[in-house]
Amino acid sequence: MQFDAIVVGSGITGGWAAKELTQAGLKVLMIERGREIVHGEYENELKDPWQMPLRGAGDADLFAREYSVQMLNRQFNEYTQGHFVNDKDNPYSTAPGSKFNWLRSYQLGGRSLTWGRQSYRWSDYDFSANKRDGNGTDWPIRYADLAPWYDKVEEFIGVSGAAEGLPQLPDGRFQPAMALNVVEQHARKAIAEKFGRCMTVGRVANMTQAKPDEGRSECQNRSICARGCSFGAYFSTQSSTLPAAKATGNLTVLTDAIVEAVDYDAKTNRVTGVRYVNTKDGTRGSATTRMVFLNAGAFNSVHLLLNSRSAAMPNGLANGSGALGTQIMDHASTLSTIALFPQFSDRTSFGNRPTGVVVARYRNMDTMDGVGHTRGYSYQGGALQSNWGAGKREAGIGEALKTRLRSPGMWRMVLVAFADCVPRDSNRLTLDPVKTDRFGIPQLQIQFAFGKEEQAALAQAKADAAEMMVAAGGNVIMGSDQPGTGGMAIHEMGGARMGHDPKASVLNKWSQAHDVPNLFVTDGAQMASSACQNPSLTYMALTARACDAAVKMLREGKI
Amino acid sequence: MQDKLQGSWNRREILGAAALLASALGVPAAAASFARIDVDEAPTSRQRALMKVVSQIVIPRTDTPGAGDVGAGDFVILALAHGLENARKPFSDSAPYARFLRADGSFRHVAWIESELDGRAGEDFLASAPDKQLGLVTQLDAEAYAARATESPWKAIKALILTGYYTSEAGASRELRYEPVPGRFDPDLPLTPDFRAVSNDWTAVDFG
Repeated sequence: MQFDAIVVGSGITGGWAAKELTQAGLKVLMIERGREIVHGEYENELKDPWQMPLRGAGDADLFAREYSVQMLNRQFNEYTQGHFVNDKDNPYSTAPGSKFNWLRSYQLGGRSLTWGRQSYRWSDYDFSANKRDGNGTDWPIRYADLAPWYDKVEEFIGVSGAAEGLPQLPDGRFQPAMALNVVEQHARKAIAEKFGRCMTVGRVANMTQAKPDEGRSECQNRSICARGCSFGAYFSTQSSTLPAAKATGNLTVLTDAIVEAVDYDAKTNRVTGVRYVNTKDGTRGSATTRMVFLNAGAFNSVHLLLNSRSAAMPNGLANGSGALGTQIMDHASTLSTIALFPQFSDRTSFGNRPTGVVVARYRNMDTMDGVGHTRGYSYQGGALQSNWGAGKREAGIGEALKTRLRSPGMWRMVLVAFADCVPRDSNRLTLDPVKTDRFGIPQLQIQFAFGKEEQAALAQAKADAAEMMVAAGGNVIMGSDQPGTGGMAIHEMGGARMGHDPKASVLNKWSQAHDVPNLFVTDGAQMASSACQNPSLTYMALTARACDAAVKMLREGKI
Repeated sequence: MQDKLQGSWNRREILGAAALLASALGVPAAAASFARIDVDEAPTSRQRALMKVVSQIVIPRTDTPGAGDVGAGDFVILALAHGLENARKPFSDSAPYARFLRADGSFRHVAWIESELDGRAGEDFLASAPDKQLGLVTQLDAEAYAARATESPWKAIKALILTGYYTSEAGASRELRYEPVPGRFDPDLPLTPDFRAVSNDWTAVDFG
């Protein structure tokens, strides 16, 4: 099989690469390690809880045996378990003393089916962070380089949100915002008045206006997105980029195939193709190409580069710098506060809005006001009323209990902090020297720990969050300043960072390998810093930008 | 009361129980399986009857069915057999429950509740008067929730009775309001006494 481009992975960025490259006229092979999932045929999407064997909660014993990491994901349950990997079949290792929960979805569409859909632009506070405080290496791009690509991505995927005019959280091409509920409206006002901070509804890739030409409906406010959405109301590969790519007639999709290595020809200094394992029968296959896009997910793209070591590149493909695998990150996140709002007990809402609120970053912008840290944090959360589940935690039985649970319960608001993660060489990916998977591919080994900067940020975030809730009239009942285990933000990134210097970074400003001109890595692996925003929108914008550059280079005969 | 099935629960009867459960749960027989329950742990018919009565006491019949009516008792047994509500997690002090521990330190909740209620009743709980049954379960519940840290197997049982009820068709759609496709979001409504909590997609909004 000979292609103009091979895209490894079919998730959030793989779908974008396939779309952009096929629309430019290239013949593209997209390879996905997991099974095919067809849009509109989501197995459990429309089932009522009484139609599920364990009512949607699922088999806890099975989860403990085979999904011991994935079950920690808030989106994971009996309905969605088929959209997450089986941990037993897909092992990874951690370095001594490290803990990392690697949350994964191996299937056509990847994590685009299960993502949180929060879509935020990064700002120049983020792209200049490394240069300003000296951690990591400087980004070779700034906001202005990416702004038009953010425009393009937002318009295509459909992002609803409110324009707020904040330099640290730039406005985008938004569809009309979803509404704040009554408690959030109140909190927004109080927080703005008392602190000058902005709480706004989560900018989310769930549409409030249909795109009938693309067969996509507006959001139905079910908030069961991770089951798959046959309305096509949230952005996924299946709902959005895949149909666009297929419509060109230039796309070939291969599922159930793990790419184990990218082939490199030292004579031409080009990658020439990929080798893969068919997961159904263990047979091997290969395909050749004029260029390769790695979109396997940050850690898997790095894994693939490490595993593509050769006589010419013994430390891994495109690793002349030695930076490959280093400076991985994940946001340090914790539940900073929970507060009760009994004064709203005569108000309620209807519908399951599929997003929460965000409190935009306010620390360490033009004034360095972080205590013990030099970067930012922001909060996501929201106000919700308890449901019948509250009855599990309280005394009471009989008719009185039944009557009480018939009404929505107490309003409570939560704020979860996401803190910028400093890039460190000690947080890194390597190939496990001993352990392999069932196909004999070396396992990825993860070495990761948060440091004192993240701890300090979350301590300040906890104190701030409580102050904001109190200012809004909330009754704070608890809060934490301890980061969750690495990986729990599901924003793992870095390992093949972009940079100016080929000796200190893997990729250039076009997401192109410094060492190998026809190799591009456009997923989270390319990130040089983490910011405190959810990163997927930025990955998509970088992918669209890299595809444009790659197509031009190909046409000009440069690669 | 010695159940004749005790200790002689074989594969065929397990499958029969699975089918019974399936009908109670409204799911295909293949979906509700006792296959992973140890032979000595399959419920006796008395245990099933008792769990139904206890479920009905926790959520009684009013203008809508009660939890026993909708099969929550069997759901509790099935769910415990699959480890829901942290049913496998050993207590920090399990000495008082030594008789009901498995080798891994986890509980035999069903055997415990049967023994506990018979013991409290001083007679066959199932033969006790309804008022007495209600009083005993009320007392058990109050003791279990006396303090947040109190450990009691009752907490998992009660939690699963509630899950079994509010995720049943009657509990979700007759007792509460079930609209799986809301189609809109109303951010601020008056909460009037006749407003019924929405039950749809209970996994979507899990703040308890």
